[in-house]
Amino acid sequence: MQLNYDYIVVGSGATGAIAANALAESGVNVAVLDVGMEDEKYHSLIPNKDFISIRKEDKNQEKYFLGNDFEGIAWDTNRVGSQLTPPRNFLIQLADKFAPFQSDTFKPMESMAKGGLGGGWGLGCYVFSKPELDAVGLNYHEMQEAYQAVVDHIGVSGAQDDASPYCLANLKNVHPASSIENNLGGILTAYNKNKQALNKKNVFVGRTGLAVITKDKESRKALQYKDMDFWSDKDMSAYRSWMTIEQLQSKNNFSYHKNCLVLKFKETESGVQVFVKRTDTAEEQIFTCKKLILSPGVLGTARIVIRSFDYKKEQLPIICNPYCYIPCIQWRMLGKQIEQQKGSFSQLMLFSDEQKNNFDVSMASLYSYRSLLLFKLIKETPLNYADARIIMQYLQSSFTIAGIHHPERPSSTKFIRLKKDDLQFTGDVLTGEYILSAAEEDLNLKREQKIKWALKKLGCQPLKTIYTPHGGSIHYAGTLPFGNNNEKFTISNNGKLGGTKNVFVADGSGFNYLPAKGLTLTLMANAYNVAKKALKNE
Amino acid sequence: MNPYYHEASRITSYLLSMNAQQKEQEVYASAMEKLSISFSAYEQALWKSMMSSTFKMACIDAGLALTDSTNNVRRKLFTMLAILEASPNYTACFLSKEYSKWYFLKLIFVGMRSICRAMIGLLIIKIIKQRCS
Repeated sequence: MQLNYDYIVVGSGATGAIAANALAESGVNVAVLDVGMEDEKYHSLIPNKDFISIRKEDKNQEKYFLGNDFEGIAWDTNRVGSQLTPPRNFLIQLADKFAPFQSDTFKPMESMAKGGLGGGWGLGCYVFSKPELDAVGLNYHEMQEAYQAVVDHIGVSGAQDDASPYCLANLKNVHPASSIENNLGGILTAYNKNKQALNKKNVFVGRTGLAVITKDKESRKALQYKDMDFWSDKDMSAYRSWMTIEQLQSKNNFSYHKNCLVLKFKETESGVQVFVKRTDTAEEQIFTCKKLILSPGVLGTARIVIRSFDYKKEQLPIICNPYCYIPCIQWRMLGKQIEQQKGSFSQLMLFSDEQKNNFDVSMASLYSYRSLLLFKLIKETPLNYADARIIMQYLQSSFTIAGIHHPERPSSTKFIRLKKDDLQFTGDVLTGEYILSAAEEDLNLKREQKIKWALKKLGCQPLKTIYTPHGGSIHYAGTLPFGNNNEKFTISNNGKLGGTKNVFVADGSGFNYLPAKGLTLTLMANAYNVAKKALKNE
Repeated sequence: MNPYYHEASRITSYLLSMNAQQKEQEVYASAMEKLSISFSAYEQALWKSMMSSTFKMACIDAGLALTDSTNNVRRKLFTMLAILEASPNYTACFLSKEYSKWYFLKLIFVGMRSICRAMIGLLIIKIIKQRCS
């Protein structure tokens, strides 16, 4: 097996795939080291049909809707990631073993899967504004080119409307927005009627930019409106990072090494040694490269960096968007039938831009509810199941779920620590604490009240606000903050890890601020820039 | 006969007022074996009462939904509910459809019935609890 490469990328998620692609396109010799879990149970069982046809026809649907071990019938209410259906469960498989995390106040999600957490990405695409990029610590001008390169690679659809300044801004080559479903279309109509009152309060609504193609792109099909997006990727309309990795695997200058958990690195005179523990045999291996790109996700990078610097820093900061969701009843949809052909993703966004400067904006993604199955909603009612079933069947077409993200900044009560623990596969365990101050909670509460007011204006009656544990937004950043002093445990603005010559970080570890807008597109654009800078040896 | 088949039939009759088919009975039995839901003496007594009639099952479920929604007896009902939803034989009971504008009258009736069931259920639960303590 070849163990020596020009560039080694750690991780195959949203950032790793983009960095590897940018490197491989330039012609250098690239390897991705990854644990690489894949779905081996369910993919072949799911018919390539729409949700309603499957529900009416497939006699074996319980195998993937409920899971072989009935893991889809979640009784435990603490789990985050409602979209982790049995066929998506491989995304978090073995994460407890290979990336142990212990905390009472912070419940992050990590992935060992090929394609990483990108396999469960909600696909919302948001270009950060200049004030946001400044606060994050990224160069506005460099990012514009990178955003476009990523959009050209992954394929994005969207519209030019009131949400554009917060979503796709001035991006080119964007596919037309998908056909809007009746539930969300009703809200958009209500917005257009009440636009003046809402805009006066700095609330804006529009179509979501989505990493879903609406025109065929190479082997990927345009969105087929099957409403099976939380269960399978059969048509590959939605972008997933594994698609980039599989595309790269056909190139001669690219290698993908599965079952490789990177523990640490060591710089030498000729480059970097990368220490790996194989997840299949527990054997240790040493890879070597001229340059190393770390992109296993913020928590994975923190583990590798702390080990590589001999556990010299006790704790690192971390930030994660506070998240809650509000189920609403949309009156005009009561008792209506949901159309057969629809998508599953959020098609509509609501932005509350208090200062009207595209900074510190709160955001609500609006979803309808169907393909995650009715029994999960029935469980949430205070009624007996038989009567709840009758009522919820009637109400389901009118359910609109608003998923709310708030912007977030670091503080002394949000941190992680890596502690040695010989019982663990990696010899250590990450711990952490995540506590918001009373002022931060109060501010978020006010933002939620504003969003609830807007939802009512749009004909949606909020039922209750459900708070997920910190970590539930699955947006993590800020462990190795951007700085330009080349200090250890910081990242310089070219993406290089402080205290090293040839180690770069391509994930969100450096971000000093998290806007409420989903960060995946920005993470990918930053990974593209970091790869380009590593190539130029900046 | 597998004892779980009888449970599956009784629960289906309560949840949907329909008969359980063999496939769903088998899936329920498989789920019970894999999930290994164990009962305390109190839960066992509740379950015995629920299995004696669908009326009691509805009332106890309603009472528990208000006071002890994560009780293990409800987990059995919930598991069967999920199994029924994931079966083409019962799809029509779970998918949305076009309702007449007067359907809300039925919903008012269902809501009232649910409250009545909960009141009776709370009484039954209290009696069973006293017997078990």
